[in-house]
Amino acid sequence: MKRTTKTPLAWKNLTHDWRRLAVAIAGIGFAVLLMFTQVGFQNALFDSQVKIIDDLQGDIFLVNKAKYTLAAEKRFSTSRIHQARSCSGVKGAYPVYSELTTSVLRKIKAGRGNRGYPLRSLGYHVGDPIFQSKSINAQSDLLRIPGAALIDVKSKAKKFEFDMEMPEKLDQYSLELAGKKLTLVGTFDLGIDFAHNGNLIMNAESFAKYFPHRKRFGDPLSVVDLGVVHVLPGFSVTEVKERLEDTLEDDVHVYTREEFRNTEIKFWDKSTPIGTIFLAGKIIGFVVGMVICYQVIFSDIADHMSEFATLKAMGYTTAYFIRLIVVEAILLSVIGFVPGTLVSLVLYSRLASVTGLQMLMTFDCLVQVLITTVVMCIASGLLAVRKLLAADPASLF
Amino acid sequence: MDSQTTMPATSGAFAEDMHLPKAVSVSGLNHYFGDGELRKQALFKNNLDVRRGEIVIMTGPSGSGKTTLLTLIGTLRTVQEGSLKVLGNELCDADRDLIVRLRRELGFIFQAHNLFESLTAFQNVNMAAELSGLDPGIAAGRIKSLLSRLGLGERIHYKPNSLSGGQKQRVAIARGLVHKPKLILADEPTAALDEKSGREVVTLFQELARDEGCAIIMVTHDNRILDVADRIVNMVDGSIKSDVAVQETSVICEFLKEFPLFADLTPNTLAEVADQMMVHEADQGQQVIRQGDTGELFYMIRNGNVDVLVDDGQQEKKVAELTQGQFFGEAALITDEPRNATVVAKEKSIFYALGKDDFRRVLETSATFEEELRQALFSRK
Repeated sequence: MKRTTKTPLAWKNLTHDWRRLAVAIAGIGFAVLLMFTQVGFQNALFDSQVKIIDDLQGDIFLVNKAKYTLAAEKRFSTSRIHQARSCSGVKGAYPVYSELTTSVLRKIKAGRGNRGYPLRSLGYHVGDPIFQSKSINAQSDLLRIPGAALIDVKSKAKKFEFDMEMPEKLDQYSLELAGKKLTLVGTFDLGIDFAHNGNLIMNAESFAKYFPHRKRFGDPLSVVDLGVVHVLPGFSVTEVKERLEDTLEDDVHVYTREEFRNTEIKFWDKSTPIGTIFLAGKIIGFVVGMVICYQVIFSDIADHMSEFATLKAMGYTTAYFIRLIVVEAILLSVIGFVPGTLVSLVLYSRLASVTGLQMLMTFDCLVQVLITTVVMCIASGLLAVRKLLAADPASLF
Repeated sequence: MDSQTTMPATSGAFAEDMHLPKAVSVSGLNHYFGDGELRKQALFKNNLDVRRGEIVIMTGPSGSGKTTLLTLIGTLRTVQEGSLKVLGNELCDADRDLIVRLRRELGFIFQAHNLFESLTAFQNVNMAAELSGLDPGIAAGRIKSLLSRLGLGERIHYKPNSLSGGQKQRVAIARGLVHKPKLILADEPTAALDEKSGREVVTLFQELARDEGCAIIMVTHDNRILDVADRIVNMVDGSIKSDVAVQETSVICEFLKEFPLFADLTPNTLAEVADQMMVHEADQGQQVIRQGDTGELFYMIRNGNVDVLVDDGQQEKKVAELTQGQFFGEAALITDEPRNATVVAKEKSIFYALGKDDFRRVLETSATFEEELRQALFSRK
């Protein structure tokens, strides 16, 4: 005879009725799916807000202290870039120009323009190591032509009707940017977000031509939206960052890549309703899962009241019953989590291909949902355990 | 005069081997259900002693309070009034730890089997064995032998779904017995069983009572197993109406049959007579009856010896010596004359006495043969 330690009552009760188990797994899996969808969308949206940061080269970024988000048009003087260059440990510092409100792209057809839609124009000095994208860098020479620009293939198709499949024909469109003629010479892939419906990339000289009003008097390129700093190999990014903070005037923030990213996400999470909306979604998933889990455990208890009462009569303690239900809840959460996660993975890949959003199941988000699921099941188990503790062995005789 | 007790002769309190420790001792136990105006008394001043190794069968109509008493003894209800001692522990105002500890010493067999459908027969029984802290190997052996004993050897690893009603009940019985409880409380344990397995179960009970000193209290209406009872307790309307030691009653009946006037009585009537007798005690040299007194009682000697002395006016003369199973005191009751002799206990003796009115009623209005036959036919099922 094999020596069993203890009869695994929680497991046996859970797996005895496969129909009920299937319902339980489906229910908890559904709650897991709901939570994953919320977490996934939230992360995807936040990721797309900071996609531009991820697509930039550089280790340290400079922005105006008043620039609370990338879309805010607060600029700083080029002199900061020059100052940064002189700092030890800095390999190079480069300006990036950005324009949104006046950057309106208009399509001209038969001499008449449509009403035009704003998009983000990014300008840089061709040759500066700004973008990671190989396709941008490969096409950079084309940008030296005055009035030439690359367009983001993910720009909203409804507003910017271009045949992105045929980039070589893009120069045939007759276009105006901020009232001046523009020629598209190619495409790149960046992606849109809440603030931007599309993107253009152009050489700094062209940029200055389109947006001369950036600075009321003087060179439009003397004000910079973003500074990209490369650190020399062998230097610590944090040390260089501290040095930059000491060197530069107080009107700029000096961020490492991660800080820059987190600050931007924090803005969208905390200062806009987005975080709240997804939190509400997650809470709904949690509550739905809790109700389902409570139902499963409660009906399991209700169906076995006399058996549990018998155990009580035999001398099993309250602690045993609480342990039993907690174990059952944990088992339920784990066996519901696995299929829920698998379905979520399938859904993620579908949604990613449909919406163009980045749906990634990171380890962090996996752990976050797993913990939430376990907490959800234990909480509902503890709610249901009151029913069990009410089992009265005196009713058995 | 002799010292009279209110103890009925059939309680068995003075029979041999009746001085084992008490497993259950109930005294002055009241119980109420409901609150306020709806408060209703369910048990009225109950007294009951169950000794170790005793098998007690409780009978009585439904609503008579026998299950209430059983749940109180089983620690499943809180004692409200009176005293209830189980295995030496007072249950009135007992704390939870004591109750949990006591419950593990008890074996419950309920009318419904209450088995977990998800567990096999073995695992269901093991739930009780695990609690007793038995070594798993020893426990496994005991579970197997118990289940085989109850005719389930082939079905040890079956789940309740594939067992018949009787088989499930036998698994539940094994669960109630596996941890060798000191007190078994059973409610209709054999109701779902056929004759053969029912007999096997009560034989098991008897072995546990005899070998382990286990006390067993059983509510049953199954008259096939009445023969295992050491005592039969009858409850009516919340109080114990009769509490009869079967062995002792049969001893009394055997003695009574020797009495010429009672020789023609049927066993039923003899048992009724035994029920009406009360216990009397007398110390060495004490007079039980005195010549010239009016006769009120008829005596049977349960234990001890007496001298019968007749005073013929000049001196007291010993005319006879009586011993266990013999009688005295009937003449004064029959003839309505004063006692014609004095009876003195030679040692500490115990008598069972019958009142004058009861004695006469037995003689005059004892059931006729025909009447008894009719009653026997009526109660046959």
